[in-house]
Order: sequence, then structure tokens, then C-alpha cells
Amino acid sequence: MNDVYLAGMGLACVLGDDMPSVLASLRHGGVPPTPVAVADGISWPVYALASREGDWTQRLCSTVRSVVAQTDKTGDLGPRTAPLFVASSSLDIGFMEYEKQDLRLGGDLQDFAGVVARALDWQGPVFTVSTACTSALNAVLAAADLIRSREADEALVIGVEMDNRFTVAGFGAMQLLAPDSAQPFGAQRKGLVLGEAVAALRLTSQPARWQITGGANVVDGRNPSGTEASAVLAMCRGALTQSGLQPGDIDLIKVQAAGSPVNDAIEVEALKQVFDPLPPLVSLKSAIGHTLGAAGAAELALLVGCIEGGVWPSVDYPLDASLGIALSKEAPQKLRNILLNVVGFGGGHASLVLKDAGP
Amino acid sequence: MSTWHTTAHFIAHPPPVDWRDDLARRIGRRPRRVGLWTELAMYGARCCLDAAGEAALPAGARIRVASQRGAWGATHAGLTQLDAGLPMPFTFMQSQPALMLAEVGRCLEWWGDASFALCRDAARTLQLAKLGAARDGLLFGIVEEERHGEPPRTEWWRLVPA
Repeated sequence: MNDVYLAGMGLACVLGDDMPSVLASLRHGGVPPTPVAVADGISWPVYALASREGDWTQRLCSTVRSVVAQTDKTGDLGPRTAPLFVASSSLDIGFMEYEKQDLRLGGDLQDFAGVVARALDWQGPVFTVSTACTSALNAVLAAADLIRSREADEALVIGVEMDNRFTVAGFGAMQLLAPDSAQPFGAQRKGLVLGEAVAALRLTSQPARWQITGGANVVDGRNPSGTEASAVLAMCRGALTQSGLQPGDIDLIKVQAAGSPVNDAIEVEALKQVFDPLPPLVSLKSAIGHTLGAAGAAELALLVGCIEGGVWPSVDYPLDASLGIALSKEAPQKLRNILLNVVGFGGGHASLVLKDAGP
Repeated sequence: MSTWHTTAHFIAHPPPVDWRDDLARRIGRRPRRVGLWTELAMYGARCCLDAAGEAALPAGARIRVASQRGAWGATHAGLTQLDAGLPMPFTFMQSQPALMLAEVGRCLEWWGDASFALCRDAARTLQLAKLGAARDGLLFGIVEEERHGEPPRTEWWRLVPA
């Protein structure tokens, strides 16, 4: 069985179109969300990508090409025959919004991944993974299965959430959105704020600094729009077991913490049942919003970028004292094993363990 | 784990006229607010498990679902509502594959590793689903709504490693 490593990564989000610009923005306090109108008199804040030239598809393709190019320092991606995983919640619904009604949805759900693959001149097998907020982590888990089982030496995972009003309107209609800003674990948190992002993770069997040692995906349908404590426990324990780790081995948890009044509290209570004491926590959604299907890849890339770049996200709002937690103000000095959690719409709960395999 | 055994294969293409009543009888309730695509998935998954003689899907099993068109009707309706400035929460929820997975799990009284993935080569989707699966195996489904004269389809396999 092969081990799985992170060979390269790329990111475009509200903070910037590549990692240096992302970290520079973070260092200077971040970028605020912008209002997106979904109907007359109704708008919601979104952490949006920087505007680009072209129509929706052209913007998608140029962003994907730019982000994937970041995954290799030489800019050479090789023969492009590895499996490609395109993870997204909204897929090409943004494109559909510009289509005439009778021309909409004329194709199928694989069309979006096909556009992404053509933008990269990709020759390998192309998979779509769409499980709402856990899409990208599930894509990483699937790609890791391929590499562990020696069915592939490399795989590319791309998480994509592009601009669209459909998703914003849908989350707004479900009364899950905050009217102003994302405040994970905040005393005045009012809901989540959506974000746009494109993130790429190049996985390989060849040793590199960051190793993906395990993960778990748990769908619990009892509460389709919320976090279930028992599922949080199961995903954390599943990821630890696959990694051969104990709770005390985890040095940092990247929490889900989307800013939901109820779900944030459930997540904390569940984490406290697995980890005693809690390791340092870090939250990224106040910086880039909830990037839904891209979140697993975008937050993994951002976290690794922060660690390698010596930048750390900070929050400018008071935390909810009743939760009894703090967010770390800097990277922990001992940082070997990191747990990344993503919880989502539809009862999806996914965890990944990332190990610093460096000397 | 390269050899797999099919313990049940259920296909409804199209489903029988009374399939919704059959589903309600099998799970002891009528699904509410879940959408046609999700209901088709629930029906096929439950029938397949019944055909396998399993009252419940083992906790360590995986569920994997593929579909070329997904919740086409709900997505189309959601876009129309968006055009009219009246997005409805249940229509939006019904358009999401994640909600289908949640409801399939719920109707099997199961929670665990469920995912929605597809590839132009359907055999690759199944092969991917098998990789890394535990000894409890896999419940794999392909679910399509009716469209352009093509009847609805819900086809499921219960697979376990030999």
C-alpha cells in the first residue's frame, strides 16, 4: 500500500489569486465580503473572487488554469494523464443562470468537470464529486484510495465554487446566512457567509513534506442542515484510527465553524468529547467565507500556506465565552499532526489528518 | 480486495406504477418534501437491500450513488423560482445530491460513508467506489429521473468483497 502526500497546491479566493497574494491580504487584515443581489431588495454578503475578463465559462477556465499552474513550481504538470477529481456543490449552475430557460440543463452533471478538464487539456479519467460542503474532502479521500491501492501514482483534486445567485438564494431561503460577516465561534454569530474559491491539490505517492495519513466521511441524515455531535465524533475517530493516531497526537484542529449559532456549539461540544484537553483550534471561514464544495481543498491549501508562509489568521470579533474555547493566535510550536474538519449541508461530516512528515 | 460478490441487483427501469406506495410500505412512512429523484433513490436502495435479505445496511458499508442528470426537475424549478425572485428553500434542498444521500441513509436507518460521484466511464465510478471499502462492502446505485422520453431508472447493486 502506498502512502499519500501533497505534492503541490494552488488557491484563488477572496484574499487573492495565488498564495503570495492570499497571504499578503491575510497579513493586512483580509478582504470584506461584497453584497450579491439574489432578488429585488434581497442581497447577501459573499466573499467573492476578484473579477476577471470574459463570460462565466471563460472566467472558470482562466481561474482553473491559473490555480492548477500554482501546484508545480516549474509550471510543468507533466503528461496530465492522472485521475482528475472536480469537486463542487454548485457545479455550472452559475452558467445556467445566463442561459435561456429552454436551453438550461440540456447536458448533464459531468459537463462541468468536462469543461474544467478541457481547460487543462487533461487526458486522464475525470471524476465529479458533489456532496455539498464535503465535496473536496471526499474527492481527496477518493484520490487517496486510488493512490494507496496503487491504481494511480498521482491525482489532481480541484475544488470549485464560482459565482452564482442560485446557491446564495437557496441558502438565504433556508435562513442559514448572516447579513454582514462570518464570525465563527463569535459571540454575535448569525450564520454563515458564502465564499467563492478555486483550489487545487496535487496528490502523489512520492514522499513530500505533507502526508495525508487518513480521513473519514460520515453522512448522518437525521438533521440535513445541521451538525450532529455523534457524526462529529465518528468522523474524528475514524480519521484518527485510519491514521494510527490517538486524540492526544493531534496538535491543531482546523474546525468547521461556519458561524452558525447552533452548529458551532454542537461542534465544540462534540470535539470536547473526543479531545481532552482540546488541542489548539484554527478557523479560516472568517477570512474566506464558507466555500462549500471547494472548502476542503481551499481551507487545506490556505492552512498549509499559512504554516509555510508564517502568517496566521486572526479574528476581530469577540468569541462566545459560553463555548469555553479559544482560537490560536499563531501556529503551534509543535505541529506534527493536523485534523481538518468539514461539516455540511445534507448531514455530511468529513475529516482529514495531515501530517508534517518533514525532518 | 480485488474480487467482489454481488448479493443483490435491483433494477426498476421504469419503476412499477405503484412504486411510491411500495416505498411507503417498505419504510413505514411516506417521504415528505424530498423530491422525485431522491424518492427514486430511496426506493431502489431499499428494494436492493430487501433483495439482499438485509434488514439494515452494516455500519461499515459504503453507499455510492451516480447519476448523469441528478435532480433535474428540482434544479430546473429552482432556477425558474430564482428568475421570478422567489427562491424556495425546499426546492433548493431537493436539487442537492447531498440531500439525496441523507435521505437514502435515513430510510435505511443507517449513517456512514456515503458519496455522490460520477465519471463518463461508469465502470470507473464503480471501481473507485470499491477501492478502500471495508469488509461490509458497498451499496451502489444509479438513479435517473424521466427526461425526454427516457423512463426513470433506479438501479442498485449490493456488493461485498469475496
